[in-house]
Formats: sequence, C-alpha cells, structure tokens
Amino acid sequence: MKRGRALTGFLGEVARNLRSKPATILYPYEKVPVPEGFRGRIAILDEKCIGCSKCAIVCPTECIEMVPGERAVEVKGGRKILRKRKPEVHLFACIRCGLCEQYCPTDPKAIYLTTEPSGASTDKGIIVR
Amino acid sequence: MPEVVVPIGPYHPALKEPVNFRVIADGEVIVRLELDIAYNHRGIEKAAESRDFIRVVPLLERICGICSHSHTTNFVKGIEEAMGLTVPRRGQYLRVVVAELERMHSHLLWLGVAAHEIGFNTLFMWTWRDREAVQDILEEISGNRVNYAINEVGGVRRDLRPSAIPGILKRLDVLEKRTERYLELLRHEPTTAIRFQGVGRLSRAQALEYGTVGPTARASGIDYDIRKDDPYVLYEEMPFAVVTNGHGDVYGRTLVRIGELRESIRIIRHALENLPQGAVRATPPRVAPRAEILSRYEAPRGELSHFIRTNNTDRVERLDVRTPTLANWTSVAVSLVGQHLADIPVVVAAIDPCLSCTSRITVVDEGLARTSVLTWDELRAHGIRFYREKEGL
Amino acid sequence: MTEVWLLVLYAMVFPGVLFLVIYALFLQYVDRKIAARTQNRVGPPLVQPFADVVKLLSKEDITPEGVDRRGMRAIPLLAFAAVATAFLYVPVIGTSPFAFEGDLVVVLYLLTLPTILLFVLGWVTRNIFAAVGGTRTVTQLFIYEVPFFLALLGPAIAAGSWSISEIMAWQGANLILAILQPIGFVVALIGLQAKLERTPFDIPEAETELVAGPWTELTGRKLAVMRLTMDMALVAGSGLIAALFLGGPATPWVLEPAWLGGLVGFGVFVLKTLGILLILALVRAGMGRVRIDQLNDFGWKYLATAAILQILIVLLMVGEVWA
Repeated sequence: MKRGRALTGFLGEVARNLRSKPATILYPYEKVPVPEGFRGRIAILDEKCIGCSKCAIVCPTECIEMVPGERAVEVKGGRKILRKRKPEVHLFACIRCGLCEQYCPTDPKAIYLTTEPSGASTDKGIIVR
Repeated sequence: MPEVVVPIGPYHPALKEPVNFRVIADGEVIVRLELDIAYNHRGIEKAAESRDFIRVVPLLERICGICSHSHTTNFVKGIEEAMGLTVPRRGQYLRVVVAELERMHSHLLWLGVAAHEIGFNTLFMWTWRDREAVQDILEEISGNRVNYAINEVGGVRRDLRPSAIPGILKRLDVLEKRTERYLELLRHEPTTAIRFQGVGRLSRAQALEYGTVGPTARASGIDYDIRKDDPYVLYEEMPFAVVTNGHGDVYGRTLVRIGELRESIRIIRHALENLPQGAVRATPPRVAPRAEILSRYEAPRGELSHFIRTNNTDRVERLDVRTPTLANWTSVAVSLVGQHLADIPVVVAAIDPCLSCTSRITVVDEGLARTSVLTWDELRAHGIRFYREKEGL
Repeated sequence: MTEVWLLVLYAMVFPGVLFLVIYALFLQYVDRKIAARTQNRVGPPLVQPFADVVKLLSKEDITPEGVDRRGMRAIPLLAFAAVATAFLYVPVIGTSPFAFEGDLVVVLYLLTLPTILLFVLGWVTRNIFAAVGGTRTVTQLFIYEVPFFLALLGPAIAAGSWSISEIMAWQGANLILAILQPIGFVVALIGLQAKLERTPFDIPEAETELVAGPWTELTGRKLAVMRLTMDMALVAGSGLIAALFLGGPATPWVLEPAWLGGLVGFGVFVLKTLGILLILALVRAGMGRVRIDQLNDFGWKYLATAAILQILIVLLMVGEVWA
C-alpha cells in the first residue's frame, strides 16, 4: 500500500530524528562557523586612511561621518601626506554592504568589513573609529 | 449563525506581515472578503529618485528580504539596457546562480510556512533546517545570508572562488534528496492532502482574467515563465523546464514549487559546472541616457516588473515596482468565496504573499480622514486623467 | 481518625492534587521534548513548564470591558476542580480508596466539563475569535465524544462492571484489554487526543486561523490555571486509559510488603502513562490540523463505526463466554 510505505518512511524519519543530534547551534556557548568573505562588523585602519571621504559619499545609509582628525599618513611611493579628516561609523546604521570597502582607494583598505558576525551592544549610539 | 465579520489582521498569527482582511462569514463559510493591503508602504519609489545608481541598489534590495536579489537584478539589468552596456558572461552566470539559490530558499521557506499554517510544525522545522544549507551556500558566495549585495550596475561585485564549487555541488546533492523526500511525503501524508487538495480552486479562465502570475498561474495550467518567454541574464543558455500542472488548487501550487526546486538545482549545477572565465563586471558610464525601460524578471513569486525612466543623469527619474504578489491578491479574494474560515491561512499562504513587496499604493484622504483602496477601473481612469492633465492634453 | 487523615493526604498531596500538578508539568516537559527532538530541535529544559506557570501567575490579569469578571475568573477554577476530582478515582498506586461502583461514569462526566467550560468561556468573553472557537469546541465534542464513550464502554461490558477497580482486577485475572479489544484501544487514544485538543484535533485553538479560539482573552492567572488544567486532563485521561486498557498500576504477581506493592504499582503507572504519552506526542508531531467539517466526516464515518463494531464484538464474546 503506497500510503503505508510513505507513512513508514515518514515515521522512520521521525524515529531517526529522535535519536540524532539536534540541528541547533547553541550560540553563544558554541561558535557559529563563518565562511571566508563573510560580511561582518566594520573596522577602520586609521594608519592608512587618507581622508578622501569616498566611503562617506558612497555609503547608502549615510552612516559614515567625516570628523576632523589630523595625521601624517604614508602613501604609495614612500611620501607622507597630512590628512585632515577621518571617518567614524555609526555601528547600528551600518548595513554591511561593503561599498565603502569597495571604493576605498588605499591598499590595505583603511575601512573594511571583518568576519565578526556579532554586532550586539547595549549602546544605541555606538561609534566605530 | 448569522453573518459575522471576522477581522483577520492587521495583527494576526496567520499573517507574517500586516494586511487587513475583513472576512464576512456565515457560520464557517466565507461570503465576502474585503482587502486592504497598504500597511507596509515605506515610500521606496520616492526614495529611489534621490539616490544615484550605486546607492539605490542597497535600497531596492531591502524592498523584500526573500526576493531581494530579484529586485536588484531586475533594476540593474534595466539600467544596463538603458545604457547599452554588456555585462561579461561570468557575471551573468553568477547572477543566475544567486537568483536560483534565492528561488530555492524562497520555496523551501514557503513549504515550511504552508505546513505551519495547517499546524504541521514538524514539516515546518524540517524544511527550514534544509533551507539552512541554501543559506550557507549563499553566505559563501556573497558574504551574507539575506540581502546579498552582490549586484551592481555593470555586473556582480564579487567573484566566486573555484575552490568553493565542489562544496556547493555536494550540498546541492543533499538538497536534491531532501526535495524528493518532501515530494514523497506530500503525496501520501493524509492531513496535508485533505487540507491542500480542492482548496482555493482557480480555473484557467479565472487565473487569466484576474492576472495571476507565478506558481499560482502555473498551477492553473498557464505556461508563463519570464525566464523562457522573455529571457534575461543568459537564461536562454540554461537547461530547464517550466513546471505547470492543471490542478488549480493549493496542492497544485505546492507541486509547482517543489518542481521548481528541482529545476533550480539543475540550473545551478549547469551554471557552476560551465562557469565561463573572465571578468565579472564592466565599468558602466556615469549617467544613463534618456530612456523608458520596462524590465521584467521571474521572481520566486511570479512576474516582477520595474518601470524605469532615466533622463541623462546618474539617478532614475521614476521607478515603478509592480510585484507579483500585487497581481495575485485578487485571485485570493475570488477563490476564498464559498470556502471555510479555516482555509483562509492556507489560501493566503498559497500565493506566497510578500506584503513588503506589495504595498505601493494607498489613498489617504486627509480631509475626510479615511483611507480607501481603488478598484482596477477607478485606478485606470484616475491614471489616465492624471497624466492627461499633467502633460496638458 | 487516621483513616480520614490518610484520605485527606491521598486527595491533597499524593497521589492527589499536588502530585497531579507536578506530574502534569513533567508530562508537558516530556511532550515538548519529544516534539522538539522529532523536529531536530533541542527542546526546553526540565523546569520549563514550571517556569511558564510561575511566569503566567505573575502577569497582569486583564478582563475585557463588559465581560462578567467573576464569571470569567470562575471558569478556569471550575475546570481545575473538575479534573482534580476526576483524578481521585483514577488508580495510581493501586485501586483508589474512593472507588465505588459507577465511578467510571463519574470520571467521564467530570472530564467532559473542561470542554463545556471552554465553550462557555468563548461565549462569555465576547470576542469573535473566542465565540467561533467555542462553537468549534462544542462541535468537536459532539463528534468525538460518542466514539470515545463507546470505546470506554467496551472494558466495562467485558468486566461486567462500571467500576474502574473492578475492570482493573478483571484484567489482572485475564489479558489486558488492549490486546483483547485493540480497535477500542485505538479509538480511545484518538478520542483522548481530540478531547485534549491536540493536533490533529486542535481545531478550536487553531493558532493560525483563530488566534487562540476560546483561550484568546485568557491572561495571567486564569491562563495559568487553564493550561495547567489541560495538562492535568492529559494525566487523568492517560491514567484512565492505562487503567482500562493496560491493566493500571498492578503487577501480575502480588508483592508482599504493602508499601513495596504500592511503590512498584506507582512505577508501573508512570511507565504506562509515559507510553501513552509517547504515542500521543508522536501523533501530534506527525500530522497537520484537519478542518472541522473534515473531522465531522472522519469522526462519523470511521471513528463511530469502529467503536460500534468493537462494542458488537465485545457483546458477542461476552454473550458467548457467559451465556
């Protein structure tokens, strides 16, 4: 009887599930596996930023603010320039799209997404510098 | 029991998003249905007019979480058409892979939700567990499980590492086996059979008259799939079949969606095994010349169309989004008359509603403090009048 | 004097109300754990049902405007009292000291009370979802009650008595009735699942259709008591079926020290009720909800027919053996 066979298949799956390990990852006690290239928390590398503001211009949510921050930065060719402004990110407005990282002209990138999956905080106005 | 008005919504455990049905029921049988779908209006079409082509893509991605890639692909391919830009083949293939993965995760999600609507929570948990495999593949390809941010005007933003492909193919094999399992289960499990079969019947003529699209139409025997009828992003090179059947009820729509899961696995395998070499993006020009483009796309729920008007700047002048759910709502109102109260969540879930996609039109009459919904004829007359006045005819 | 004192202890503590409440919470835990594991999830920890009750007791108790406050508050308490009284006659460590001829009828009547009270609740709270849910409760009651009663009539006819203890004793002398009356056993289990309004029969409380049916306007203490009552009905119902079909808390041999006999009997009771719960939980995990008109079809076409068939067989067998 076809119905019987499928039903036993179903019950078999049910019984198998009763014995097997659950599919749940007990976060935060167990770590969540994250692949390479995951778009995680944003971070800023202050030593490389030349203050061009491209990240702030291209950000879709306008969460990057350019604040005054003078620093002598070494660029390609060994020269040193004096940059005038640097970016600050409102963490909870960042949608982790990665456009800032894509348009940042420095190498290694002065603003980039890490692979850190969590972004929880109790401070609504938390800023990443 | 005399006629009662049962308010389903805007808050209701059956609904994942706010929508208001006022169901007028005689006992358990539905007599009439009044629909109000404007609760999720966020002004996206207006917001899109003030952003340039780079910054508007993440906005359009967030019209809907489940069909986010559909909206962005549809938009960027419209802009590319206006610019006359050719996207490299590898980029197009990657777009296809992500699009079909999105279709898979959407259909698996739908299967779980449909099971939940009839109280079958075990199937709900199982399908969502398998959906995790699809999400993991998407995470590897694009870096995020939802809202993949992989499209931009001119191509895709990331390339796929060849070392990732064997892992993806292995996971697809597992998903294929699970899909076969679900098909077996649905054919023989008694409660899904009696809750899905014969419910929400929509004949072919009715489906055509009310303009249904997507799996809802394909389950009523209408062979209409944009991927075959108006191919885009190199779908003409992919081997797949359009899944239709003649049931016309919720069971038919379930079969169509599971069939599409199978076909999607086929397409992804073919695309990954025949991935062309080369660049993944072409640099687009800064502005798009003056043009009016109607861009169509087969989203998981049906035909999605964007009307884009560009005017030689780096923004759109007008964007109009017509989502498949908007086209399918009338069929819900029609097919629910004469059914039982208990069938409402099943039939509503069967069109796979995405309210975030739908709410594009609302009429707010501040003077009378009343909101209303325009019928099709009223809307048409209003539109014709409006444009006549605006263009001074 | 000690007699009365012992009876009060039996009724209030063990195996009376206190034990009933604790065991009901334990069975809810087992039920939820089984459901979770079949779905590949982890499931709640052991104290979860107790924590839920405590949490609900501390929540705000809202009565909708225009609803009779005292009436609405009384209903969960009445249901609680009905089930607790019914459990007095269910054998837990041996035959109940309150047993008398006809206590089967009393137990069945008392176990019907919560369902009727749910209907009244749906009516009283003046909420459209609750009213429709209440109507569904009573409709479902009409459908499953007849087969359920008939199925439980079978053991009574076989043992020739209306007393649960006599039926238990009869099974001790002969085979357990689950083997002698398998159809009746299956019908009784289905009837119990419907009485407790668990999937596939949770139509009155269909979350995705009617919010919560008659339970919609219950909050805080009232909700805690009503949910506890439903769990207690599970214990009482499975205890009843264990006594009528599986032989109850009795062992085939008599154990010498009375306290050891009681302990082993209690262990047997726990095992049998857990077995019944396993079956009910697997059915709950493995099926979707049916529609009320489909249940009507199924109930009168198959369930009632099966129950009547079983009664006919029992009557024939009894007639033949003792004619």
